[in-house]
Amino acid sequence: MENKRSAEPAGGMTPLIPANHKTGTGTGNRPSLWRRMTAQKHLQTMALLGVIWMIIFNYIPMYGIIIAFKDYNIVKSIAEAPWVGLTHFREFMEDENLVNVIKNTLGISLFKLVIGFPLPIIFALFLNEIRSVRFKKSIQTISYLPHFLSWVVLGGILATWLSDVGIINNILLALGLIDQPISYLAEPNYFRGIVITSDIWKELGWSAIIYLAAISGVSPEMYEAATIDGAGRFQKMWYVTLPAIKATISILFILAVSGVLNSNFDQILVLRNALNDSASNVIDYYVYYTGILSGRFSYSTAVGLLKSVIALILLLIANSVSKKINDTSLF
Amino acid sequence: MAIKRKPMKMVTLLLAMIMTLSAAGCSSGGNNGSNNGGNAEGSKSTNAPVQTEAATETKLSEDEPGWKADTSPITFDWYLNFSWFPNKWGVDATSKYITKKTGVDINFIVPAGNENEKLNTLVASGKLPDFITIDFANDNVKKMIEGELVLPLNKLAEEYDPYFFKASDPAKLNWYTQEDGNVYGYPNASSSPADYEKYGDTYVANQVFVVRKDMYEAIGKPDMSTPEGFLKALQLAKEKYPQVNGQPLIPLGLHEFGDTGNYSLEAYLQNFLAIPREKDGKLYNRETDPEYVTWLKTLRQANQDGLLAKDIFIDKRVQMEEKIAQGRYFAMLYQRTDFANQEGTLYQKNPEQIYIAIDGPANSKHDAPTLDGPGISGWTITLISKNVKDKARAIRFLSYLNSEEGNKDLFLGEKGVSYDTIDGKDQFKPEVLELLNKDRSSFDKQYGSSFTFWMLMNTNITQQWTNPTVEPFKQLEDWTRGKTKSASAFEGIDPTGNSPEGIIGSKIKSLRAKTLPKLLMAPSDAEFDKIWNDYLEKQQKEGLEKFQAYQQKKYEENKQKLSQ
Repeated sequence: MENKRSAEPAGGMTPLIPANHKTGTGTGNRPSLWRRMTAQKHLQTMALLGVIWMIIFNYIPMYGIIIAFKDYNIVKSIAEAPWVGLTHFREFMEDENLVNVIKNTLGISLFKLVIGFPLPIIFALFLNEIRSVRFKKSIQTISYLPHFLSWVVLGGILATWLSDVGIINNILLALGLIDQPISYLAEPNYFRGIVITSDIWKELGWSAIIYLAAISGVSPEMYEAATIDGAGRFQKMWYVTLPAIKATISILFILAVSGVLNSNFDQILVLRNALNDSASNVIDYYVYYTGILSGRFSYSTAVGLLKSVIALILLLIANSVSKKINDTSLF
Repeated sequence: MAIKRKPMKMVTLLLAMIMTLSAAGCSSGGNNGSNNGGNAEGSKSTNAPVQTEAATETKLSEDEPGWKADTSPITFDWYLNFSWFPNKWGVDATSKYITKKTGVDINFIVPAGNENEKLNTLVASGKLPDFITIDFANDNVKKMIEGELVLPLNKLAEEYDPYFFKASDPAKLNWYTQEDGNVYGYPNASSSPADYEKYGDTYVANQVFVVRKDMYEAIGKPDMSTPEGFLKALQLAKEKYPQVNGQPLIPLGLHEFGDTGNYSLEAYLQNFLAIPREKDGKLYNRETDPEYVTWLKTLRQANQDGLLAKDIFIDKRVQMEEKIAQGRYFAMLYQRTDFANQEGTLYQKNPEQIYIAIDGPANSKHDAPTLDGPGISGWTITLISKNVKDKARAIRFLSYLNSEEGNKDLFLGEKGVSYDTIDGKDQFKPEVLELLNKDRSSFDKQYGSSFTFWMLMNTNITQQWTNPTVEPFKQLEDWTRGKTKSASAFEGIDPTGNSPEGIIGSKIKSLRAKTLPKLLMAPSDAEFDKIWNDYLEKQQKEGLEKFQAYQQKKYEENKQKLSQ
C-alpha cells in the first residue's frame, strides 16, 4: 500500500523521474520509434535544442579532460602536449594541502547536507498547512527572494554585517552577549557556520518550491480519508504528506549526496580571506587557484577530475542504496 | 488558428537554426584558436595588403618618426593587467590631443576582477589585444613569448620603423633581449646604469613608513625604529585615539594579503632592515636573516597586544584606500604613490591630519634602509600581440610613446591647454598644477597629463619639466632621498611558468602566503618558532635549493648583462 501511494504523486512529477520514460520505450507493441518521433515533431524539436545544447556545452568540452593526463601548455594545442600519465594525480596525493582541502570541503558539505537538506522539506510541510492563501503566497515569495541575489552582492553585504563594526556585532554587544567585537570573517572557527547559515538562508525558500509542487500533487482524497480516520494535522503531515513526497525526497537526496564534494564556489570565493584560509580552502577554490590563477591547468584538471570521479561513485552508491531501501532511483 | 500557428513554427525552426549555427561558429572558432599555425597565416593574409602599402609609402629612416607617415584614424585595443586602472582614453585633453596628432585611438581593456584570471583566459584563447601592458615579473610574460603570442619589437622596428631604435634606450633593449636574440617588450619607469650615473642623486623611492602627523605628534614623536619603540608607539596611539570618527583606529596598515604573500612583509620590510640581497656574489636568502625574524616577532607581539586590526588581513586595496582617506590608520608600511590621491584629500581637509614619513623599522645596528630605486626592469613592460590589427602602426605608435616627444606629450599634455612656456621653461599652467596637487582623479579626467597614461613613461626624460613636488607629497619623497639602491641585478630572477623551478616557486610563494598570517596570529613566541621552523622545513621539501640555484644563475646572467 505504501508503495502504491508514493507512486501516484511521483507520476505527477514526471520531469524528475526519467525512469518512467524508460519503461515506456521498452514495450514492444508500440509504433516504431521514427513514427512516434515524427508524430511529436514539434515537441521533439524543443527537446532536440536541449540535447544539442548539452552536447555542445557538456559533452564536447569533456575532451579537455585529457589534459589531466598530459603536460598541457596554455599557448599550444591539447594534441601537442606530451602524455604524463598519472603524474598530476600522484602530485595531488602528496600535496600538503590535500588533507586540509578535503577536510574543509567535506566539513562544509556534510553540514549543508545534514542541516540544509531537511530544512526546506520541513519548511514546505509547514507552509502547506497555512490556510490563508495570500499569507502563504507572500511568505513563499519573501523566502525565495534571496535566491536571486548573486553571491557577489551578498558577499559584500555579509562582509559588512560581519565586520567588527558591523550590525551583528552591534546587536550582540547591545544585548550583552559578547563584550568585545569579533571580526567573524577573520576567524577560521566561524567560517563553516557562516557559510552554512548564509547558504541555507539564501536557498531555503527556493529549494522548498520543488517540495511544494510535489505536495500539491497529493490527492485530496487521501487527506479526506485520513480525516475520517481521525488523523490530526501532524498525523496527516506524517502519514500522508511525507510518504506521498518520499520519492521526490529520495531523488533530491541522491543528487545532494553526489554534490558533497562541491562547495558553492561563488560563496567561498567572496567570503574567504587570508585569515580564514585554513577553513576556507576547499577543493573548488584549490582548483581555481592552481588552475586559473597559477596557470597549472593540467594539474588542476586532474584534481577536478578526481573530484568528479569520486562524486560519480557517491552518486552510484546513493542511488543503489535508495533503490534497495525504498524502490526509487535515478536510473 | 492555422495562420497564427505558422509563424510560430517558423520561429521555432529559425531559433533551432540560429542555435546550431552559432554553436558551429563557436566550435570552429575554438579550433582556430588551438591551431596556431593556421591562425597566424590567416591574420597575415588579411594584414598583408595594408602593410605593404604602408611600407612603400614610408621613407624608412632612423631619424624620421614612422608614425608621421600615416595618421589616419585607427583604434587599438590595449590590455592593462591592472584592475585598479580607472581612466579611459579620449576623455581628457591629453589623450584627445594625441589621437588628433597620431590618428591612434585606444580602447583600454582592464580586468574587472582578478588579473591573472583575465589574462590566462586571454592567453588560452590564443588571441590577445593589440597591446599588452603587464608587470615585468609576471609569469605570463614568459608564457606569451614562448607561445609566440607576441611579436619581436626589433623585427617590427627593422621592417616598419627604424626610428624605434633611436627612440629607445639600447641598454633597456639589451636587458630585455631574450635567448633567441629578440626583444618582445619595452619597460616603463626604468633606469639603466647610465641613467643612474646621470640622474642617480635625484632618485626617490616609493617605499615609506608613514604615520598620521597629528597623532604622532600628540604621543610625543617617539622613536619607532626599534621593536620596543615601535610597539610602544602603536600602543600609545591606540590608547590615545581608540576611535577615528566613530570607527576603531587601525594601528598599523600593510599592503594586502594575497595568494602569493604580502609585499609589505617581504622585500619591503627587508629593505627597511637593510638586509643584503647578496653576500660575496652569492644570493642571500633574506627571509632567514635574524633581523627580519626579530621584526616578524615584533609584529606577532603587536597582534598579541591587540595592535593589529583584523582589517589588514581582509581588506583589499579598495577598502584600504577608503580607510586611508578617512585617516583610520596610525602607521603604514605602504608605498607613497599608492595613496597619493588619499593623501591629497586628507591635506585638503586638514593639513595636520596627513601621513608623514618617519624612520621606520630598522635593524639592530640602525643602518639606513636600502629602498628599491628605479631598476632597469622598470615597472611594467608593453608587448605587441601577434594578432595586432596593423603591425606598422602599432610599432610606430610604440616608438612615439617611447620617444622624447611622446613622453613630453603624455607628461605635459597639449601646449596652451595643460602647459605653457613660463619663465622660459615648459611647465604646467598654474591652475593645472593646482588641480594636480589637489585632486588627482579630476585632473586625470580633465587634463590627463602628468602620466595619467603611464604605460611607457620615462621619468628620466620628463625630469626637466617636473615642477618641484609640493606638500604633502614633498615630505614623503624627500624622506626616501639618498636611501635608494639599485636592485636591477636582482630583478626577474624568479623562475616562472610551468617549468619545474617555476612550479616550486609558485608553491613556495603560496606556502609563504599561508604562513605569514599564521606567524602574526601565533599566540606566543614559542608557537611562532614552531610555525617558522615548520615553514623552513616545508620550503626545503618543496625544493628550495633548486629554486635558489635557478635564481643564482639568473642573477649572474643579469650581472653580466649590466656590465656590458
